[in-house]
Amino acid sequence: MANITGYFMEPQNFSVNDGNGIRTIIFLAGCPLRCKWCSNPESHVNISGLEACKRNKLIYRYSTSDILSIIEKQRIFYRYSGGGVTFSGGEATLQQDILRELVYKLYDKGVNLAIETSGYFKFDEVKDILKKLNLIFIDIKHMDDEEHKFFTGVSNKKILSNIKSVNELNVPMVIRIPVIVGVNSDMENIIKTAKFVRENIREPKIELLPYHSFGDEKYEILEKEKPSRDYKTPLSKYLGELVKAIRNEGVKVVSYK
Amino acid sequence: MMVTNRIEKARQNYLNSKPAISCERARIWTESHKMTEGESVPIRRAKAFRDTCEQIEIKIFEGELIVGTIGEFRKCGILTPEFSWTWVDREMDNFDKRTQDPYIMTNEQRTYLRKEIFPYWKGKSLEEAFLKQLPKETAKVVVDTGIVDSDSKWRQAVGEITPDYQDVLFKKGFGGIIREAKEKLSKLSNTSAEDLKKKAFYNSIIITSEGIITFANRHSEKAKELAKEEKDELRKKELLNIAKICSKVPENPPATFYEAVQFAWVVQLGGIISENPLALNVGRFDQFMYPYYKSDIDNGIMNKDEIQELIEAYWIKLSEWVWTISANTAEFFAGYNQFQNLTVGGKARDGKDATNDLSYMCLKATERVKTHQPGLSVRIHQNCPNEFLEAVTHLVSKGTGFPAIHSDNAGYQMLINAGYEPEDARDWNNCGCVVPHFRKTGEWTSAVNINFTTALEFALNQGVSRITNEKIGLDEKDPKTFETYEEVKRGFYKQFDNLVEHSVVATLIAQKLHKEMVPRPFLSSCIEECMVQGKDLVDAGAKYNLGPVLTGIGLAVTANSLAVIKKLVFEDKATTMENLINALDANWEGHEELRELALAVPKYGNDIDYVDNIAIEIANHYYNVGHAHKDINGNSFNTAFMGISNYLPTGKVVGATPCGRKAKEPLSEGVSPFAGSDTSTPLAAMRSAAKLNQDVHSGGTLLNLRLNEDLVNTKRGQSNLGSMIQSFFALGAFHVQFNTISTETLRKAQERPEYYKNLLVRVAGYSTQFVNLSRAMQDAIIARTAHGKY
Repeated sequence: MANITGYFMEPQNFSVNDGNGIRTIIFLAGCPLRCKWCSNPESHVNISGLEACKRNKLIYRYSTSDILSIIEKQRIFYRYSGGGVTFSGGEATLQQDILRELVYKLYDKGVNLAIETSGYFKFDEVKDILKKLNLIFIDIKHMDDEEHKFFTGVSNKKILSNIKSVNELNVPMVIRIPVIVGVNSDMENIIKTAKFVRENIREPKIELLPYHSFGDEKYEILEKEKPSRDYKTPLSKYLGELVKAIRNEGVKVVSYK
Repeated sequence: MMVTNRIEKARQNYLNSKPAISCERARIWTESHKMTEGESVPIRRAKAFRDTCEQIEIKIFEGELIVGTIGEFRKCGILTPEFSWTWVDREMDNFDKRTQDPYIMTNEQRTYLRKEIFPYWKGKSLEEAFLKQLPKETAKVVVDTGIVDSDSKWRQAVGEITPDYQDVLFKKGFGGIIREAKEKLSKLSNTSAEDLKKKAFYNSIIITSEGIITFANRHSEKAKELAKEEKDELRKKELLNIAKICSKVPENPPATFYEAVQFAWVVQLGGIISENPLALNVGRFDQFMYPYYKSDIDNGIMNKDEIQELIEAYWIKLSEWVWTISANTAEFFAGYNQFQNLTVGGKARDGKDATNDLSYMCLKATERVKTHQPGLSVRIHQNCPNEFLEAVTHLVSKGTGFPAIHSDNAGYQMLINAGYEPEDARDWNNCGCVVPHFRKTGEWTSAVNINFTTALEFALNQGVSRITNEKIGLDEKDPKTFETYEEVKRGFYKQFDNLVEHSVVATLIAQKLHKEMVPRPFLSSCIEECMVQGKDLVDAGAKYNLGPVLTGIGLAVTANSLAVIKKLVFEDKATTMENLINALDANWEGHEELRELALAVPKYGNDIDYVDNIAIEIANHYYNVGHAHKDINGNSFNTAFMGISNYLPTGKVVGATPCGRKAKEPLSEGVSPFAGSDTSTPLAAMRSAAKLNQDVHSGGTLLNLRLNEDLVNTKRGQSNLGSMIQSFFALGAFHVQFNTISTETLRKAQERPEYYKNLLVRVAGYSTQFVNLSRAMQDAIIARTAHGKY
């Protein structure tokens, strides 16, 4: 395979919350969604438009071998901790070619692989990639399609149907809900999500990710308007109630904290 | 999980009372020397020891289970004028006022010392002899300069020893040692000069052994007296039991855990009375105490909780005596630290895992009593029980800075490199802060501190200190005329080698004087081979005699600085030597742009080969140069990158450095990155540190990292920390320790120290109470990069 290049945000070594063990997160740039609360706004770039300008704000062009050498230095820590690499974004599947090349090469090296995805992809195009992974995180941001469109800019139909397809791959899957007061934290939506997860996933698991505003600084650098102050982090007591409700639906609640 | 009321009371007392200086040991020691003028030195020292044991006031404090102090105060320091009295004379008026490690002392005490004690020792102390015999050109470099520092070897005793409980003390008791010495004496001839020397040695051993037995018996008598007056029936029983134990040990071998731990404490007291030592290590406590633990449990003599209480009582006793040191030494060894290292875990002599119940109970004791002593160290090997690693990372998460975590294999390898038999090398314990050591080893494990960064300063300033403007280094060519990086490097190494030479000169003189003036009969009796050969520790009587350890300070700052010169001056040509030197002369003032460029050059601690390679080269050169020198016994000098708190005082004597550091700011400790410059991840800092061929630096290496507490406050986080540690050791590293307290907590402790008396932090190689550190030291700890924003 050729040593192709792609667009990335800064890789993050020593991540311990996105899968098992000590991990490196590879953030691929570009995203078809425009979530109003996004904490990685630098990923909101048009990849084909990037070819022209050499370097965009907070976006770096790396070749496969650049990324692999970053990962190589971390492998001893994966080995002892059961960790590995997690692909994230943006939407990791958007730059399909370089993602495929990285996943295939790392799979052959025996590196534990995970992905965090919005679920917004053409399943048949990325099926071969997903099959090689050890863990797939897919977000369900809202069960109501209209709300989903309003907050993310796209319909949830494709996402929900992709979740069903991924279930057939027999790769462990965790559904993540970014819990945001003012968007999706109401009990009704959470229970609906849990029901969907139980009905469609062999080993139903949900992880709740309470909203944080760590991305605000990046909005400043990018000179973009920050997410609305109306979006709030849920209180931990309320999160506890959500956890109970999800468990009541027969879904396991997992955490990587 | 609560400590008993008894332990809590003792703990509160430990936290709330200030250390006081006792003049008693100095008084008796001096009186004794007045009576023994003309006798041989070992005999005089042994008699002074015995007299002290016979005369010093015996104190048993309320509720104590383990008894014995070195003076009339519960939290007590002593004076050893035979080593040095001049600094005490100079500094004692300020003892209660000084910023680092103050002591309580009364004016009556001061008057007494000046009238009765110091005049006797005038002209007789080790310090005075050392300073008289030291060549002038070396004195300029090594006496109170912060450039080359060895004052703990001529103002203090050596310490740095691990009594052998397994093969000597618990096996024979001091009664047995006396019998052995007498038997040896009976075979020596009066017509052989060599035998005569041995005779003096064995006689000195008999005298000190008698002394320590008397000392214990006096505690027995005292306990009996107290029992008579005691109203509380339970306490009366305890006192009678103490009386029984102290009349048995350390004269005889112990039979129970209680007897063994009281024995070990009396040995510690003997060591303290004999020389007020630094790093009188307890050694592998979980190993040598285990037979007594097991037999007590099996025979129903004590239960686990009772033994836990004894361990905690022992921890408090170890923390109550205070090492009395000069203000200068206190800057190097801040926090009332005595470096009584206690090692648990690791492999047994046969290579099997040695972890046992006591290993866990020791970790628990430190978690519960939070005392700064013992210096708790663990040995972690690749097959160490996961449960033990979990217990270790759990303790790390408590933010005490304990334990110091060591690679079992790296320690083994360091001793194998030094020529140890494999079984002995596997049985290593930690000495002081991070030195692999053994109970049959004689070594000056912290002989000299060498300030690497001054060598660079001298290379860049024709041998002149930017702080004092004195010419201390070699007068070499004008740095503005350096034409290649190679030339800069050669200039640096030339100055560097010169500092190493002065270190050697000073050490050889100190070693010679130790042989002549301060033999160590009591501690020699605790070392097997000394008894076999009839040779004191000062005469290399131990089985393994290693060369003195030179400790390098400022490795990161120096490597970072050379990287800046290499990149900015000779590769990028972004500046010239002249501009850079001008910027350093101006302490960067008016050169802010250049400083920004300098700060942007890669820094050691981020896993960037460009600068890490420079650090490796310096470290390798250091080993080669250091190792080529031989000590007084013909052994090669050893190298180390230990910590101690030395990176503060050594920073004060160095002007601005090319890395962007400003004048007088702290340097870097051990193999740790410069504070705040390891901006990547702790994994990157670990990878940088592990590149340094740590196993050749047999004096130990030290990496200090701060982790945010949220990274380790879950079980899962602790497991990941365990994996980090194992990965680091797989890369060949020897030691790592963590501070896991949030910056917020540290700031609060600065504001309201009274609420944070129990806050232990890792300084470097050891932990101590944060509130007992000077403000500058506290700020330096806060400045260390906290890892774990993720």
